Amino acid sequence: MEIQRFGVKVFVADPSSVRLPDYIQIFHRWIQNQMVEDHLLIDVHNYSHIHHGPGILLVAHEGNFSMDMADGRPGLLYYRKTPTAGTAVDQLTTILNSALQACRLLEGEGRFRTDDFVILANDRLNTPNDEETFSQLEPIVSGALERVFGGKKFTLTRISEDPKERLTVRVERIPVSR
Amino acid sequence: MPTWKEKLANTLAAQFAEEIDAFESQIALRRTGKLDEKIFAETRLRRGVYGQRYDNGHRHDGVRTQELKFLSDMTKGPDTLWDAPGMQRIKIPFGGVTPDQMDTLADLAEEYSDSVLHVTTRQDFQLHYVHIDDTPNLMRRLAAVGITTREACGNSVRNVTACPLAGVCHGEVFDVTPYARATAKFLLGHPDAQGFGRKFKIAFSGCRERACGLVNMHDMGGIAVTRTENGQEKRGFEVYVGGGLGAVPHDAKLFDSFLPEEELLPTAQAISRVFARLGEKKNRAAARIKFLVAKLGIEEFRRLVVEERQTIPPDPRWTGYLPEAAEFKENPLREAVPLNGSQRPEGFEKWYSTNVYRQKQPGYAVATITLPLGDLTSSQMRHLANLARRFTGDNVRTTVEQNIVLRWISEADLPELYRELVRIGLGEPGAGTIVDVTACPGTDTCKLGIASSRGLAAEIRTRLAGKLFTLDEAVKNLHIKISGCFNSCGQHHISDLGFYGTSRTIGNRKVPHFQVVLGGKWEDNAGAYGLAIGTVPSKSIPEVIERITGRYVRERNGNENFQEFIKRTGKQELRGMLENLMQVPAYEKNRSFYSDWGDPREFTIGDLGMGECAGEVVSAAQFDLADAERLVFEGQLQLDNGDYGQADALAYRAMIQAALSLVKTQFQSVRNDANTVVNEFRTRFYDTNILGDRYAGNKFAQYLFRRHDSPPNEHTLDHARRIVEEAQLFIEAVYACHDSIRERGSAPVSVRAKP
Repeated sequence: MEIQRFGVKVFVADPSSVRLPDYIQIFHRWIQNQMVEDHLLIDVHNYSHIHHGPGILLVAHEGNFSMDMADGRPGLLYYRKTPTAGTAVDQLTTILNSALQACRLLEGEGRFRTDDFVILANDRLNTPNDEETFSQLEPIVSGALERVFGGKKFTLTRISEDPKERLTVRVERIPVSR
Repeated sequence: MPTWKEKLANTLAAQFAEEIDAFESQIALRRTGKLDEKIFAETRLRRGVYGQRYDNGHRHDGVRTQELKFLSDMTKGPDTLWDAPGMQRIKIPFGGVTPDQMDTLADLAEEYSDSVLHVTTRQDFQLHYVHIDDTPNLMRRLAAVGITTREACGNSVRNVTACPLAGVCHGEVFDVTPYARATAKFLLGHPDAQGFGRKFKIAFSGCRERACGLVNMHDMGGIAVTRTENGQEKRGFEVYVGGGLGAVPHDAKLFDSFLPEEELLPTAQAISRVFARLGEKKNRAAARIKFLVAKLGIEEFRRLVVEERQTIPPDPRWTGYLPEAAEFKENPLREAVPLNGSQRPEGFEKWYSTNVYRQKQPGYAVATITLPLGDLTSSQMRHLANLARRFTGDNVRTTVEQNIVLRWISEADLPELYRELVRIGLGEPGAGTIVDVTACPGTDTCKLGIASSRGLAAEIRTRLAGKLFTLDEAVKNLHIKISGCFNSCGQHHISDLGFYGTSRTIGNRKVPHFQVVLGGKWEDNAGAYGLAIGTVPSKSIPEVIERITGRYVRERNGNENFQEFIKRTGKQELRGMLENLMQVPAYEKNRSFYSDWGDPREFTIGDLGMGECAGEVVSAAQFDLADAERLVFEGQLQLDNGDYGQADALAYRAMIQAALSLVKTQFQSVRNDANTVVNEFRTRFYDTNILGDRYAGNKFAQYLFRRHDSPPNEHTLDHARRIVEEAQLFIEAVYACHDSIRERGSAPVSVRAKP
């Protein structure tokens, strides 16, 4: 399985802390200093007028970042657009790392929940939203999580079975029992 | 991995499939350098694949201009980098979409764009930030649901638009839907419609009185009319040609007061042939059909078309659709049940008062979905498709006010529909009111945008939305329309309160401004164009609206409408009201004026891609330009007074004065008689292309030359109004040139410089 056109959304821990207009300035600053590794940052687009929309969008050649408001849950959303190299696990690891890099850059604005986030397959042709594809994807996601988060354990849940929706996997960390 | 081409191989109509395959091949040829970039540019434009801001690889980040270092330096057109994100326009004839098409549009926005669908002022959809490599598959997926992007851009017949209320409107003569559909289908790819020098836009309206069709501002427009022949009612069209907005608006001219329905398509074909044969090809600025009609005169144009019509071999498609058109009707999904007695959720009454139109068919209504700035998300689109499936079936249309309407809603379903719309964030009231601001993309994504039309629109919406239902009724239903530049994509000319973006230099800094255009008329099919009052800093525009509307409420006479009020008050008085708002505080005192709405970067017009202007500015030039502005303003006043000769003379003098201001930067002691000024200006700034920029070219200079070389034989309203508008635009171009000269900080280089 090729992991192309995937996305990751990492939710903000405190949704009430999000002031969308602030992100316009922040993303412009990222462009001024080209702050995201391996990305050509191009432009900022203000979608704050749209209900539960993409919020503030930072367009890059390799992938787009946004302080996304979909479903009313603010979070840093990263969509990969250009191909990434390596195995499927390598590819997803690269995408996860890009999203987390952006989260780290935004840490001053609030905390992100790396214990509860989603991975989206933004390609209905090659990764349709069905059980078979989800089964194929599970070990790839687990492999990438292992590389990024070390020995932490996660549960993976397919969010919607509606074939019109994109295959979206909720990733939740299993608390360590004491 | 499977491909969309394989997956949809048996789904696509053969013609669509072949066209898209051919486009994919052209992409491959361009990639290998075997297809010239100019040819490829027009090829992709004709597939709706458009350039977007910064695609020349440069962007001002607020501090400096950055080079956008894409890995490849391949181009998809002159000065347009392959990897730069672009825009995909998707034609929707008469705005009609089905739920399945809506689902596909939603999917494409998610997978290839930014999950946002934008409805345009011509009933299209646009997706932004699309990579050109994705466009063939995007087109295949559209074609699979019956949508083509062919001729969505380029020098072709653009989307054929029509009233979104066609078929359900109380005032219509008959439903124009099948005629709009037939015209779109007939002219799509038609050999006689391929040789234009510029785009060609067609609109249909069901009546003269309501605005929906906006026939008056189109290259060709048809208004439904009937007459009785031998005791039988006969359908036909009142046909207009040569209308258009653009930099200088033209009223369409009446081509035929009754064109029988069977003559609609052959006449459209004949008009296309005449336009292709005689329309301007080299100078894009004068290539729209409105210039040809103005040049020939409507009588001669009509004669040529009628003559051409007689030479065209008969085509069965001309009348093949007519039996179906006569019988055409839409099928409601649900039974007509009146609203009476249904439980109404909170907020419903307000929404109902602005967003619901009761159809001529009892028990049914049209519900307008208000889209802020014409935008909705993929998720909202998919929900909307499901609501359509539940309540109305295929009866969905986009509107030129950048909204979506669901037609044939059983009135009893309206409360439940409203609940569902609120749930997905689409239950906003205010459709067609002052808060329903229309704006073109402007500096957000358009290469030609000067100021942020969407930023301003969003600000105005925010300020007015909360108080919409406390506003005076006279103000509530005014229209606000905003364009990011003079090109009028936001349709500012036909708005009560219109604005178009421009720029001024204060000290050494740029300040975003908007030209205020008052008194245009949306009603009566774009019945009147407004005129410019003055240029106001962007950040003061909301106050302009407050002042003008406030005074209208206080001082209007009885039921006096806004156009009448503007006319009675007079532009001089109105300008006086705005005089102090035209001032810009010093940078040190208020920096907010030096950036645009929703964009914290210090304002610049550098992203436009400046032209050849160079040199140093002299302070006297500012005075000369101010004088030119004064003259054109006085010309506007004379226009209002009905003294067209004087209006023409003043506007002409204004252009001479503005030209003189530039000539003096090279030739301080130039004589100021008109012949000398025009000759010197032509040699130094036009022939050398110093005035021109890469987008507008030298078109504004030609306004001066045309008036200088051909003074009017008689003074008419149309002519005088055009000269005044052209003078205003010429002055703007001279301002821009002065700014460039100042930025370069050196003497202008002219290959034929004289002492």
